[in-house]
Amino acid sequence: MSARHWATRLHLPTLGVAAVIVAGWVLLSWRYGAYVLPSPLAVARGFAEIVASGEIWRHTVASLGRILVGFGGAVVVALLAGLAAFLSRTARGVIHDFLSVLNSTSVFVWIVISIIWFGLSNWAPIFTTFMITLPVVASNIVEGVANVDRRLLEMGDVYRLSGRQKFTAIVVPSTLPYLVVGMKVGFGLALKVSVVAEIFGVTSGIGYVMNYSREILATQMVFVWALVMILVMTATDRLVFDAVSRRLDRWR
Amino acid sequence: MAVTLEVAEVGKDFLIPVIDSVSFGVEAGEFVCLLGPNGCGKTTLLRIVGGLEPPTRGRVLLGGEPVSGSGRHTKKVGVVFQEDRLLPWMTLRENVELVLEPLGLGAEARRQAADRHLRLAGLAGFEAYHPARVSGGMRQRAAIARALAIEPDLLLMDEPFGALDAQNRRIMQQEVRRIWRETGRTILFVTHAIDEAVAIGTTLIMLSARPARIREMVRNDGHLERGRLIDDLNTMIMEEVERQQGVVGPA
Repeated sequence: MSARHWATRLHLPTLGVAAVIVAGWVLLSWRYGAYVLPSPLAVARGFAEIVASGEIWRHTVASLGRILVGFGGAVVVALLAGLAAFLSRTARGVIHDFLSVLNSTSVFVWIVISIIWFGLSNWAPIFTTFMITLPVVASNIVEGVANVDRRLLEMGDVYRLSGRQKFTAIVVPSTLPYLVVGMKVGFGLALKVSVVAEIFGVTSGIGYVMNYSREILATQMVFVWALVMILVMTATDRLVFDAVSRRLDRWR
Repeated sequence: MAVTLEVAEVGKDFLIPVIDSVSFGVEAGEFVCLLGPNGCGKTTLLRIVGGLEPPTRGRVLLGGEPVSGSGRHTKKVGVVFQEDRLLPWMTLRENVELVLEPLGLGAEARRQAADRHLRLAGLAGFEAYHPARVSGGMRQRAAIARALAIEPDLLLMDEPFGALDAQNRRIMQQEVRRIWRETGRTILFVTHAIDEAVAIGTTLIMLSARPARIREMVRNDGHLERGRLIDDLNTMIMEEVERQQGVVGPA
């Protein structure tokens, strides 16, 4: 293996740029002070604090719990939409049209509506997450269903497979890669959106604690919780979605 | 139980007439090759025979039962397409087992039948491979094994070796001939390659340029000298190709 290969594997170029950015960050934090830009050291110390106190888990689990319900619900409804799209061409058209409407609706619309409907409760961020991730996951699944190879379905007809057999043997495996991509993108979106929705009305979660830190002028904690979000996102991508994709690609 | 195929005055229009009127019969155990210039409607005719497309005119009877229209006939038809049409996420064995499910066989019987037919097609030892891991020729063998596994009353093959290189093509022609001799299946084989048809078919049907009619029907049981037969068929197909391209007016 060449030296260049190892350098790339360890992301050395990226780390180099990161070092330059951190150096710039240190200089700027000296210039502007801890309220505007806390130093990297203060952020590291803050991170160690919430890990030691266990606070990191309380808020991360609260956010992930809401995501699980909102995003999980979106996946379930998206799967039902995919099934309907498989069974009926008319349903596919209707679903397609509704998804493009949902897709072009702003996050803020759902946040405001959810506060009106559900008040200041857990259901506000859950509902917002649901409404924002549903079109992303569902349009992927519906596209997957529409892209099932007609020639394979015709083969199924030749050998007289039942509708159920064609569904499980042909449609589901062809659609799975689309589902995984939809869920990967949807989950990333869910994390970003639910955190915004948590600013209003709940007393736990990463969004809540970030906004709270801002109010008590603990700017370094805003940076700490942003770091937590990045870590959660990277970890789920690597540990869950990449692993699932690899498993799906076994037969290639 | 001998099942015969009867194609009676079948015609098909796709905006323009593609098949004018074609009639022929196939006895059980025959190996019929359907020949003709590219685009003359051979594949369409095969799809009509297989019940994948309804004819505009005429009808197709398999063992006396109509193959298209309402109510499914009870005869079994296996099809080998131009592409293998294997499910890439299933092993070769699972691909064959799948088509045995509608026949109501138990898991053990399905497995045995799948392995037996994969062996017949020369794929012993490759049962647990996924299609992407074997060559194009082997994938087409697996498609043949799948078609044979249902013990079809009629086996339809639509230019199954078109995507293979010349060597593989020759090997597969011999293999199909061997499988036909060993199983005694009735086969309808579409090709535009005359040497292929003469090498494997017992009956050769030459279609005309579009709209297709039967131009010639030849028994290929050795009573004709092979080189002469190939020359004659070549002359015919050239005439039809020229006519299709409008070089000479319709006869």
